[in-house]
Amino acid sequence: MIQPLTLRARAEEQAERLPALLARAEHLAGAVLLGAHGRRRAGMGDDFWQYRPAQLGDSRRMVDHRRSAMGDNEYVREREWQIAQSVMLWVDQGASMRFTSDKGLPEKIDRARVLGLALSILLVRGGERVGLTGTALPPRSGRPQIDRLAALLNEDDAADYAPPEHRAMVPHARAVFISDFMGDLSGVQTALTKAADRGVRGVLCHLLDPSEEAFPFSGRTIFESVGGTISHETLKANDLKGRYLERLAARKAELQDLCALTGWRYGLHHTDATAQTGLLWLYGALDTRSGVAA
Amino acid sequence: MMVLGGIGFTAPWILAALAALPILWLILRAVPPAPIRRRFPGVALLLGLTDDETVSDRTPWWLLLLRMLAVAAIILGLAGPVLNPEAEQAESSGPLLFVLDGSWAGATRWPQQTEAISAQLTRAGRLSRPVGFLVLTKPETPVFQSADVWRNRLAGIRPAPWQPTEATLGRAAEAVGQIGDFDTLWFSDGLAYEGREAFLTALQSRGTVEAYQTAANVLAMTPPQYDSGAIQLRALRVAGGEAREITIQAQGRDPAGNARILASVPATFDAGTTEAEAALSLPSELRARIARFDIAGQRSAGATALTDDGLQRREVALISSRESREGLELLSPLHYIEQALAPTADLIKGGLDDVIPANPDVIVLADVATLSEAESAPLAEWIENGGMLVRFAGPRVAASDISRIDEAPLMPVRLRAGGRSVGGAMSWGEPKSLAPFNDTSPFFGLAIPDDVTVSAQVMAQPDPTLASRVIASLSDGTPLVTRKAIGQGQVVLFHVTATAEWSTLPLSGLFVEMMERLAVSSATASADAQSLEGTTWTPLRVLDGFGTLEDAGTLPGVDGVALVTADTGPLMPPGVYGSGERRLARNVVSADTILTPVTWPAGVPVRGLAVAPEQPIAGWLLSLAVLILMADVVASLSLSGRLLSRSNAALVIAVIAFTLPVDVRAQDAEEEFALNATSEIVLAHVITGDQQLDETAFAGLQGLSDTLFFRTSVEPAMPMSIDLENDELAFFPILYWPVTPNQPRPSDEAYAKLNDYLRTGGLILFDTRDADIANFGASSPNGRKLQELAAPLDIPPLEPLPADHVLTRTFYLLSDFPGRHIGRDVWVEAAPPDAEQIEGMPFRNLNDGVTPVVIGGNDWASAWAVTNNGAPLLPIGRGFSGERQRELAYRFGVNLVMHVLTGNYKSDQVHVPALLDRLGQ
Repeated sequence: MIQPLTLRARAEEQAERLPALLARAEHLAGAVLLGAHGRRRAGMGDDFWQYRPAQLGDSRRMVDHRRSAMGDNEYVREREWQIAQSVMLWVDQGASMRFTSDKGLPEKIDRARVLGLALSILLVRGGERVGLTGTALPPRSGRPQIDRLAALLNEDDAADYAPPEHRAMVPHARAVFISDFMGDLSGVQTALTKAADRGVRGVLCHLLDPSEEAFPFSGRTIFESVGGTISHETLKANDLKGRYLERLAARKAELQDLCALTGWRYGLHHTDATAQTGLLWLYGALDTRSGVAA
Repeated sequence: MMVLGGIGFTAPWILAALAALPILWLILRAVPPAPIRRRFPGVALLLGLTDDETVSDRTPWWLLLLRMLAVAAIILGLAGPVLNPEAEQAESSGPLLFVLDGSWAGATRWPQQTEAISAQLTRAGRLSRPVGFLVLTKPETPVFQSADVWRNRLAGIRPAPWQPTEATLGRAAEAVGQIGDFDTLWFSDGLAYEGREAFLTALQSRGTVEAYQTAANVLAMTPPQYDSGAIQLRALRVAGGEAREITIQAQGRDPAGNARILASVPATFDAGTTEAEAALSLPSELRARIARFDIAGQRSAGATALTDDGLQRREVALISSRESREGLELLSPLHYIEQALAPTADLIKGGLDDVIPANPDVIVLADVATLSEAESAPLAEWIENGGMLVRFAGPRVAASDISRIDEAPLMPVRLRAGGRSVGGAMSWGEPKSLAPFNDTSPFFGLAIPDDVTVSAQVMAQPDPTLASRVIASLSDGTPLVTRKAIGQGQVVLFHVTATAEWSTLPLSGLFVEMMERLAVSSATASADAQSLEGTTWTPLRVLDGFGTLEDAGTLPGVDGVALVTADTGPLMPPGVYGSGERRLARNVVSADTILTPVTWPAGVPVRGLAVAPEQPIAGWLLSLAVLILMADVVASLSLSGRLLSRSNAALVIAVIAFTLPVDVRAQDAEEEFALNATSEIVLAHVITGDQQLDETAFAGLQGLSDTLFFRTSVEPAMPMSIDLENDELAFFPILYWPVTPNQPRPSDEAYAKLNDYLRTGGLILFDTRDADIANFGASSPNGRKLQELAAPLDIPPLEPLPADHVLTRTFYLLSDFPGRHIGRDVWVEAAPPDAEQIEGMPFRNLNDGVTPVVIGGNDWASAWAVTNNGAPLLPIGRGFSGERQRELAYRFGVNLVMHVLTGNYKSDQVHVPALLDRLGQ
């Protein structure tokens, strides 16, 4: 069990390294919720909103030197908050995520939480509204939401393989699913098709432990799921390696197909890679405009 | 005990368990290895996958074999296996007699023999046989006692330095005759001797006889002979056999009195021969020191040859009154005595004042009457210290007044005027012959030839002491040879001439023998019985069986004839015997000894001494079983995939790393040292051995490092302490070397490293810490030490730091360089002689490189030193001026480090105005 405070701190740490992300609303028009700022135009450009005098706390990089050079005061160029997008997060909290093959590696669930929360922080910093799928935490903006997210993400699920939560999806929002997708794929399929129906597009982050990719086992072995509900005994574990890898590849292919059908993006992340790479990918994947391949 | 294939088993019935092995094989084969439980989320993907082989994964055959071996080893181990089981002795319980030759020939192998006897005692003890001992060199009636009693007394039985003789064997046979029947174990030394066969027959008539004998050859040394300028050494061995080289060692005391090997010479037994010879040529000084010769690796009296006078050639100085004229050699007063002594002594000729410093053993004065005071005083002192003065009378002595009224100190008796002449043309009577020698005379026993006559002599005055001083006299009772002891030495006067003018004595063989008896000369050939007639010799030092010389103690004297003819025995052990000044060695082996190997009749079983003791090997087998089981653990783990999980692998690697030799760690330490020293710039100081000084130096360098860090772009890491002997110097730009009078001088290797360091651009800052009061002379201890330390260093000419040296301006502009002291001079490499100040330049263009040494005495480290929290460690000066001084010290340090790191860079900078000026034009 990770303390929310440390999780938050580590997530902040991850989030600090990237500039604020402004999620682009694909569907500018229509039934999107308005952000904090309306669509008032200033006339000088799409993104520009106003110059304001630099205040204490503004970082130097925010100073607009072209404007500031005209006078003695320093100005900050503020962009218009065009659209606040809703992003819904689902982090698999099932028992299968509480696994690591090596003491040096984080558990999958740990990595998933860090990634999810870091992404949330980025999004919130960019003014987006972030929440969890389902009814537990509807999307909201602001720092307090991060605290709530952190608290909710820390709850463990007793079930071995948790299906994605697909209820109460905000139409035309975006969604991020982080899971190892080891369980039944029908739940994922349901969630994705339902999301596609509602115009929700998003990202599947397939999070795997390196041992799940390599299957470095041999000898007579009884494999048990982390929750203990499923077990499988084999006399020669190394004989199973080929077939296991085939099945894993098939599963990845299936997920990719599903994403292709529903307009989601699929990404694979391993716990032995740095969280930063995962976050970067998620960041990029969310930032990509519709139809543009990353 | 059951014996199978050379291995005995104390519990053979356990071996029956071996039959169960095949069953165990089947059982083990049927049981597959235990599964591992693994948590694995991917199990969902595995569901429904079946194993290709329906047969369960059986334990592989080699693993089964391994386990079988382990079980077999355990069974064998429990069965009590014994290597070299003793063959069962005949179950006799009668008394057992141990017969030992007990001679020197067995001394070298005595420990093995004792071991073999001990093993036999053990067996006899097991069978409760009473045991008796009979040592043939010292036969006593055997007493049969239990083996345990004898085992305690075994160490007390030692070899004698002689051989059993017929006499001792006779006594042994007598002793054996008094006891009943017994079995015999005869431990032979390998040498045959008279009467053995008869004694063996006597023993065989009483019971069985078994013989034990070493296979090693017996070696012996015959007495050394001095011949043709070298010591002739001869070694013997019992049996021929293959060629063998031995080393003969000459043992003696060195001038410091320590026993040591003075010389050694190899000798070779050719194949099939029993003799090896060697010659050893040594200077007479060294030769006289030799106490004995022995054979390296042999430890017996027979392999030891004691030396005596035969090897020692005395130095005899011959002095006559007359210069011998050419063509009159036969008339020379020294001719006959030269002839008599030349073969056996080293002769010295010359003036008396020349020969006394050479400290000869004997000085012969032939017809020398008067001695000047300058001659007689040292001569008397020489006699006092053990010299022997032999004087011959003659016309001059007869004519002189010497010892006429008072006895001259260098004369044994008073003399009458003129002497006398008997049997000459102008006198009545016959020439006189010699009277038989008195038994107190050293000449006692010498045969007097009839043709020795005396026709003239100097006469002794009758004195109360005369009778005691006469050692030879004429038939009419007048003294012929008189002797007087002075201090440790003596004066001997022959009342006749050394030529044939007054008597025929010098022409006879008796003259030579008398010289020998007086120890003026020493016999070269081994003394024969005839020449020893009538002498008595007392043992001085005797040999034991192992060839060790021991003090003779109170052993009785031996008649001279017996000494050379009789066999050695308890009454006459081999050793060094003395008679007066003479020394005679009686060795175990004489020149004509022939060593005969012992032969045993066919009926006697002969065994070697090598005992292979019973050796239980159960422990080994059980250990083997444990080892196999450990291998089985590894194999099982690897089979079940549990061996090389990552943590286990780390463990295995750690274990391997710890079992690897220490070198790896040493290398690691070296690597770590190199990394620490090179990842940042590091200042270093030399460890002087004075702990407080080293700590101050370290703190000083830390303070300097901090200062550099704060003020300059040089950002040193923590300073390091350098052990000149072991640490690599090349990593450090500068070495601070505080000088203390009692630091050790570095080794030559360390100096080689230091010179290398200086040549490749390193800088050493020597700090004598004495405020330069001595101006680097030798008048302060630190200055002296500095000179001593720096002498082997490759240092160029030095000069006091000139005002325009680059060190004054590498970072700060400085004019003086205080530390804790405000000393005057700091010395650096001298400027080249052609350095000139260029017009318009503030500075000369001095050395191109960095000065290799900076020498000063201002104790900079104390000024730089800081505590761990950065505060100054030591007070400097007073108040603000002190702080200013500290600041200047820091500035000097900064300049110095800058100088080391940038070289003459600042020198170049001074040209910049000139360059700019030129560019502008």
